[in-house]
Amino acid sequence: MTILSIRDLSVNYATQDGTVQAVDGVSLDLEEGQRLGLIGESGCGKTTLLKAIVQVLPRNGRIAGGKILFKGMDLLQLPAAEMRQLRWREIATIPQASMDSLNPVQRVGSQLTKLLRVRGGYSKKAALKRAADLFDLVGLDTERLSHYPHEFSGGMKQRAVIAMALALEPSLLIADEPVTALDVIVQHQILEVLRELEQELNLTVMLITHDISVVAQVCDSVSVMYAGRIVEQAAAEPFFSSPAHPYSLGLQQAFPNLARPRDVLVSIEGYPPDLREPPSGCRFAERCPFVQDACHDIDPKLEAIGDSRAAACLRSNEMDVLRVQSEDPSLWQRVEVAQGLAPTLDPSPKMREGLFASPAEAQRVHAPLAPLWGKEPGDGGGDVLVQLQNVSKRFKIGGGLAGLLRGDKEQTVYAVNNISFSLRRGESLGLAGESGCGKSTTGKLLVKLIDASDGEIIFDGADLAAMDDDSLLAFRSRVQLMFQNPFEALNPRFTLYRSLTEPLVIHGWKDENKRLDRVIETLDRVNLRPAEVFLDKYPHQLSGGQLQRVVLARALVLHPDFLVADEPVSMLDVSVRAGILNTTRRLARELGLATVYISHDLSLLQYTCDRIAIMYLGEIVEIGPSNQVINNPQHPYTKALIAAVPVPDPTIENPPLRIQEGVPRPTEQFIGCPFAQRCPDAMEACLTVRPPLITDENEHRAQCHLYGEHRDSPKLKRQLP
Amino acid sequence: MQQESMAREGQSGKAKTTARFRQGSAIRQLWETNLEVFQRDKMALFGLFIFAVFAVVAILAPQIAPNDPLNPLKNNEGDWIKDAMPYWLAEPGEDEAEGYTNTFLLGTTNIGRDIFSQLIHGSRSALLVGFSAAAAVAVIGTVIGLLAGYYGGWVDTILMRAADVAFGIPFIPFIIVISAFFDPSIWNVVIAMALLLWRDTGRVIRSQVLVIKEQAFVSAAHVSGASDLRIIFVYIAPSILPLSFLYGSFAIAWAILTEASVSFLGFSDPETISWGYMLQDAFNSLALSREAFYWIVPPGLCIMLTVMAGFFIGRGYEEVLFPRLRRM
Repeated sequence: MTILSIRDLSVNYATQDGTVQAVDGVSLDLEEGQRLGLIGESGCGKTTLLKAIVQVLPRNGRIAGGKILFKGMDLLQLPAAEMRQLRWREIATIPQASMDSLNPVQRVGSQLTKLLRVRGGYSKKAALKRAADLFDLVGLDTERLSHYPHEFSGGMKQRAVIAMALALEPSLLIADEPVTALDVIVQHQILEVLRELEQELNLTVMLITHDISVVAQVCDSVSVMYAGRIVEQAAAEPFFSSPAHPYSLGLQQAFPNLARPRDVLVSIEGYPPDLREPPSGCRFAERCPFVQDACHDIDPKLEAIGDSRAAACLRSNEMDVLRVQSEDPSLWQRVEVAQGLAPTLDPSPKMREGLFASPAEAQRVHAPLAPLWGKEPGDGGGDVLVQLQNVSKRFKIGGGLAGLLRGDKEQTVYAVNNISFSLRRGESLGLAGESGCGKSTTGKLLVKLIDASDGEIIFDGADLAAMDDDSLLAFRSRVQLMFQNPFEALNPRFTLYRSLTEPLVIHGWKDENKRLDRVIETLDRVNLRPAEVFLDKYPHQLSGGQLQRVVLARALVLHPDFLVADEPVSMLDVSVRAGILNTTRRLARELGLATVYISHDLSLLQYTCDRIAIMYLGEIVEIGPSNQVINNPQHPYTKALIAAVPVPDPTIENPPLRIQEGVPRPTEQFIGCPFAQRCPDAMEACLTVRPPLITDENEHRAQCHLYGEHRDSPKLKRQLP
Repeated sequence: MQQESMAREGQSGKAKTTARFRQGSAIRQLWETNLEVFQRDKMALFGLFIFAVFAVVAILAPQIAPNDPLNPLKNNEGDWIKDAMPYWLAEPGEDEAEGYTNTFLLGTTNIGRDIFSQLIHGSRSALLVGFSAAAAVAVIGTVIGLLAGYYGGWVDTILMRAADVAFGIPFIPFIIVISAFFDPSIWNVVIAMALLLWRDTGRVIRSQVLVIKEQAFVSAAHVSGASDLRIIFVYIAPSILPLSFLYGSFAIAWAILTEASVSFLGFSDPETISWGYMLQDAFNSLALSREAFYWIVPPGLCIMLTVMAGFFIGRGYEEVLFPRLRRM
């Protein structure tokens, strides 16, 4: 039976600058028991589609045409009161960032029973029983019904939200980015819950996400949305094995994959078209590597190819050939010519005169630059640049006058605990772990944003703690940081030129022409061309991907030796992530730059780093060459992290996860192993004896009793999840 | 040859580019923000207009005022012209009977002073108090907020506990005490406001600094080696200056109101005419019971207008600074 049937749906938003066609002629069918994944980058109309279905469009949104049939009823003709009855009861939604939608001043249980009683007509007693059943269903302890949201972890909140969505036994569940912003272990568990529920309740699910690996894990069919249209529809397996639209091809190859690592990831450069005036031809033509002249004129329709799939591409019959060609990343590469900044590309004659020697120069694509800034290329074999010896960082919390008056005891948080590692010139190291494991603190220590409580950080022979003002300034010119959120990393009041020239001014570059040369050269290097166009822009005029390139440019403008990148792409759209990573990696090589990448995403680190260090509660539990750590993990924590990473391939099922979510707060120093509390293989020795550091011939080290003299210590008895 | 000329062309192009970017200074941006306030908000523009009119009046007071505001006017026989009605209200012929020509727009006081001239001269003290107190409050509050917010730790503790103390002192009694210590003067109000009212500005600026200094672009400046002073004044201050203008414009209104209250209570300098002093004078000489509205209403109206002007401008800043408030 068809539960939901959308026909030719169009949704417009009225804005100050014209009408945006956010959803344009979308047709979609959802059968009972089907699990549909709707994917695409942000701004492609996925969430608008969801809002149109449940009719909660914002005030400026209008359904311009089409039908939404739910079990034969036309939702668009339904009176508001009846539509209200349908929400929750028939169509339940898990909106974006729904964890924060729990009322913080009400017990979670009473929020759930209230819903059951008001909307479901349950009696008080029945509602309590049902609430307990629901908590059971999503894997929450029923005692937790009487807890407040702040007593829940992120994963538990998400479970509670799922329980609420399922409370009235809806026939359709629509989840918008249900696992985004969750830690990888929690993400794995929520996906597990969703999978189990699908089987148990035979749910019909529509899952909206930008992450194709989530779709691969949970869904049996896929719709790809691009610029307000559906460009491909297919069952999951053929979609992942042989995508039939160039955009799908790009999306798949933009994702790092632990199971099948790639040499170079594909970046779909450019941006979705302006939906106020969509192009008359194919909407993907601007970014498509297989574009032909016809693509700009003919608007391809979604046409069936084979029995279970459809794609909107003029060249879909050649797809087998294109698929092979698409493996070549250079095909996708293009310079970041100021797309999205088009108005200034046609500057007034005066401005052009000022900016460029000739109009032709304005459009020029620079010749490839010399590979190096006068430094040796990095091969990972340089001399040691950074060395950490038994470095610790403690924070005191709850102390002070206020704490004294409240009667709080001062607590010490051991954010970084006795870590040691070294990094050579040209080498890249990844720091991984769940949030709260001390990765970012380590990053801040490395660039001396904060000072270590104990231990030594040696940079090029000099101890960071013992630097005088002059050598500190010199240090500052050689070490740079790249930030997670490009929208915050640049001063909104500075033009990009001002932001980029600041480091040079601080380090005494007096000659403005030289500064300008350097800034333009650096913008060139990060593929923002022609650089001159960007100079007088403000950050809000650029897209996230462009901004992150500017942030990278600012980090490199002083030609540093050492770069720390803290989650450099986690805030960016999938399509441009690879572009940033590739540029960073290329420049690190060109510059002989030592790089530390901090990320929770192991597949990303495997792609970018020579070595990976796994951190847990402020300690490095395992460190080694990337391939060794990923393919031959030693520490149980590393194994768990790797098992939790969703693989963008529906044929590969993740191994069961053997640990529970939840990183404890490191407020005590452990006598034994910090991971012992959560470790599935914990032994008695783990609680009392510090685990030894085991090193194999590849410089692959793990700190675990499983490989040491205590390996025969009796196992601790505990329940596995 | 050709290469050379191209190189030269490139050079000149570059010089021009540089000139273009140089202009994007913080001061210009601040100016633009201020301009935006008055372009967008007609109320703020109206407020500015009121201030402008009063400023002109204050500067040209001796020229505009027909008589000395302090010296009693005398008739032909040398007696004070007490309680004369405005000429447009008085009985025709009454003035000639008393031996003077009634040209008084707003009449005279019970000791024969010209009320209109007092009103004109009153704008001087109002604006003097208003602007100097506002400047003192905004400057002190901003500096304290910046230091407390940026450095944190014990600097913050000391400054914010001092703000707590300032919050605990009742304002009007404080001014009365100050007036008792010093000679009566309009500067007492300014001093008292500078000593106490920085507390609100300081707190708000501090909270804003706490937000800004955690942003990544400030960390980036640290990592690039920028000094504390550079970070405070180049990175943080431009973002919070509109906020100090906001508090400054509210402080203008506050100061004028306070000066009026203090004068009305009788703690002002009898040698300086202010609108509050005029009201007190009128009140003491039972002008109310004589229904001498022409004595009471004009200074009241002037106080109201200047205070309103201050709040209109403040509102304009609020609209630009917190656009979300507007929609609510």
